[in-house]
Amino acid sequence: METDKKFKQEIVQQTGTEVLTCIQCGTCSASCPTSHLMKPSIRRLIKLVLEGKKEEALDSCTIWLCTSCRLCNVRCPRGIRPKALVDALKNLCEREGRETGKDQAYEEIFLRFIKDYGRVSELPLSGEYIFIHPEAAVGAMRVGLELIQKGKLTLMRDKIKRTEEVKKIITELEKA
Amino acid sequence: MPIGVYICHCGLNIAGVLDIEKLSSYAEKLPDVVIARDIPFTCSDLGQEQIQKDIDEYKLDRVVVAACSPRLHEPTFRRAIAKAGLNPYMLEMANIREQCSWVHMEQPAMATQKAQDLIRMAVAKAALLKPLESETMPVSQEVLVIGGGVTGIQASLDLADAGFHIYLVERRPTIGGFMALLTDVFPTNDCSICVLAPKMSDVFNHPEITLITYAEILSIDGSVGNFTVTGIKKARYVDEKFCRGCINDCASVCPVEVPSEYDFGIGKRKAIYVPYPQAVPLVACVDTKSCIGCARCVEACSADAVKFEQEPQDFKFTVGAIIVATGWQAFDAARKEEYGFGRYKDVITTLQLERLLNSAGPTKGDVVRPSTGQIPQSIAFLQCVGSRDAAIGNIYCSRICCMATLKNAQLVKEKYPDTDITVYYLDIRAGGEGYEEYYIRAQKLGINFVHARISRIEEVKGNLYMNYEDPDTGRFKRVSYDLAVLSIGLEPDQGAEVIGNILGLARRSDRFFEIAHPKMRPVEAHIDGVFIAGCASGPKEIQTSIAQGGAAAAKAIKLLQKGEINLEPTGAYVNQDYCTQCKLCVDVCPKRAIILKSPAYVDEAACNGCGSCAAACPMDAIGMRLYSDEQIMAEVKAATEEKSEFPLIVAFLCNWCSYGAADLAGVSRIQYPTNSRNIRVMCSGRVDPIFIMEALRYGADGVLIAGCRLGECHYVKGNYQALQRINVLKGVMEKVGINSNRIKIVWCAASESEKFAKELKEFVEELKLIGPIGTEIRADKKRVLAP
Repeated sequence: METDKKFKQEIVQQTGTEVLTCIQCGTCSASCPTSHLMKPSIRRLIKLVLEGKKEEALDSCTIWLCTSCRLCNVRCPRGIRPKALVDALKNLCEREGRETGKDQAYEEIFLRFIKDYGRVSELPLSGEYIFIHPEAAVGAMRVGLELIQKGKLTLMRDKIKRTEEVKKIITELEKA
Repeated sequence: MPIGVYICHCGLNIAGVLDIEKLSSYAEKLPDVVIARDIPFTCSDLGQEQIQKDIDEYKLDRVVVAACSPRLHEPTFRRAIAKAGLNPYMLEMANIREQCSWVHMEQPAMATQKAQDLIRMAVAKAALLKPLESETMPVSQEVLVIGGGVTGIQASLDLADAGFHIYLVERRPTIGGFMALLTDVFPTNDCSICVLAPKMSDVFNHPEITLITYAEILSIDGSVGNFTVTGIKKARYVDEKFCRGCINDCASVCPVEVPSEYDFGIGKRKAIYVPYPQAVPLVACVDTKSCIGCARCVEACSADAVKFEQEPQDFKFTVGAIIVATGWQAFDAARKEEYGFGRYKDVITTLQLERLLNSAGPTKGDVVRPSTGQIPQSIAFLQCVGSRDAAIGNIYCSRICCMATLKNAQLVKEKYPDTDITVYYLDIRAGGEGYEEYYIRAQKLGINFVHARISRIEEVKGNLYMNYEDPDTGRFKRVSYDLAVLSIGLEPDQGAEVIGNILGLARRSDRFFEIAHPKMRPVEAHIDGVFIAGCASGPKEIQTSIAQGGAAAAKAIKLLQKGEINLEPTGAYVNQDYCTQCKLCVDVCPKRAIILKSPAYVDEAACNGCGSCAAACPMDAIGMRLYSDEQIMAEVKAATEEKSEFPLIVAFLCNWCSYGAADLAGVSRIQYPTNSRNIRVMCSGRVDPIFIMEALRYGADGVLIAGCRLGECHYVKGNYQALQRINVLKGVMEKVGINSNRIKIVWCAASESEKFAKELKEFVEELKLIGPIGTEIRADKKRVLAP
């Protein structure tokens, strides 16, 4: 695939020039909690960007699996912020109208929960989601049961004290 | 004040472009000039004799030579006039070859005009020259060596053998440093202490070395040739005269056991202890932090050497030079939390492995897992722990860890051939004589090398797991080992910070001490008379440390061997009536030559004459003997007296780089416009903003300041100080309505003649657009006056 200089320049500019000093040691991907699901690994994603391979980098599932834990940022021996690189790639996808790996229905429910209650409650959220996407029920049930057994799922709808303030923030953001 | 002016033809080099007759008749009419001559080759014997004859005949008391660059022949003419009985500093040169005839070959008329200006400037300056006497100062022939590691030991021995008296001050109870604690050392795998111990005892027995161990330096005053050092020798509660170093009557009865710093925490020592059997001096020491005062050792010592009533002792002496060999400290591996050092017993450091491998160590040479005491079946070495790591703030390579790991892996493999050894590395850096061969030897022994960086060590049920991504396959691995060795990096010794502050040593961004020049002056500090050797200036292997110790000793010998040093009479001085003790000068001085007593005074032995203090002083209380304010102002005034062309630029060039670049432009015959009138100063930091303002007031259209490239200043940071002052001045100029682009500051190395010419050309074009000086003020007035 042809190298895309402009693509590389843009991502480097948003990530910081440290990314040019990457030595491909793999500390980022070996530290990453979701790296076993990613393809390519975050280390290889950096390499793709540095080689200017735009299509491969933007098509990867890697950027959508990042949990934003920032362990890669913390441990990188070159002071690179791989998380910033992921963000830059996500923004580019969005701007170019590519498939973003986002789940529209899920995000809408998630945002509404935050707006109304200031907090997400897993069970009611899953319920609503399954209502729209019944095919997700099997997977969700399996994980859900496991979580309930371990006491990790709140069954009741949770709410914070001053929901109107959170609502205000989100409304402002939506305006912008 | 009769002045003689001599205009050199330099064959056709000058006379081929400039109208010499015109210059000579012009010079004759300048004030105070009694004789102006043109000479075919002024630097020839004939030329010099003519000057000497005139000095005698016309009773000249100062001489102006308009010829080549003063960087070339100033010493020649100084010697010539000195022979005729004049003070050598009563000479001024006008550079009409490199900075005039050679660079304006196609504009003879304008070049002649410029040469007239240059001669007028030189005559004006010459009128203000003062005779200066260079002095010699007696120096102490004793040397202080700080730090008794292998570097300090080598420096001390070399100096002492050359007949200098040495004070070797060591913070610990014994000399020997890290090298005394290592097992075999690369690349020959010879026993470390076996090669070091003879040197340690040489130090102890040398009649010219005063060894002061277990001591701290408290203050160092004075300057090159005469530093006064004070310090304190801590009480070790054992009389050095009586202790026979029996190892270990006292320690064997001591009930207190603590982790030994000489085993890096894996072995134990008592509260009274001899660090190790080869310690020098071989004297026990009481650790007051852990001693419970039971006094059993007092009873046990048959020599009655244990003295609980011992007091710390002060010491004070004077030395001519100081060698800083403060060494390094190990990176604290616990800072890399993901590797679990300090939490997992079987994660150890290189230094701990050195002690395990050492037959005098806590295990008598057995490499064991600290958790079980068993021989490990598999060992992982992790490289670059605390080096090349921005996450913990050490981005530099510690240089020796690759080789240390190769060595330790070989030693383990040779002793336990069945043990599986893997080295996880980023790069193996084996640059050095025999080093790459050493790497190959390790590979042939069957040691595995994996190009990866471990992201995390986990301990599960007593087993260590290394997590990493294999960069070749992209697979994530989790491999179990019995023992993990962290190859910890080197950091500057924390205790050395105090020494650095006392001496005023500069530090690099990696926190090691900065040497005077990264290539050309590897063991000199910025402070005259202070030398830096070994790991104090960055990680180094033993071989290089020894070389630097010897080099520092040679430099100290060169400095002190005559018993006196020459003081150039070119330094700064304080006019005590004006000093308000604001301390600005103390802060800007790169040589720490200004001492703030009441009022400030300049230590002339330490001063190198850059003049940044004179530019900084808000009271103008600091003067320079050479390049005085009056002399420079006279040049500025003379340069602008006849405004012979537009734009007229007054240029201040630093002696070391930009004046050199301008000379090189001449030698290379690079042609540029004739508009600049160059004034030579020692440093761009010498340029007082008042010079610039006055130049503009007298009618210069622009002022150029040229210095060394940033970071390469001959006086460390004079150019940064110049930049700072000029930025402030530019702000002021904008406020009063003068276009601040009339000031230009450029950085060029002595080799960058093209750049100098280019910048000057650009400046001329810029000034043409801005217009003659005052244009903007007149425009402003019109605007104000207009209805």
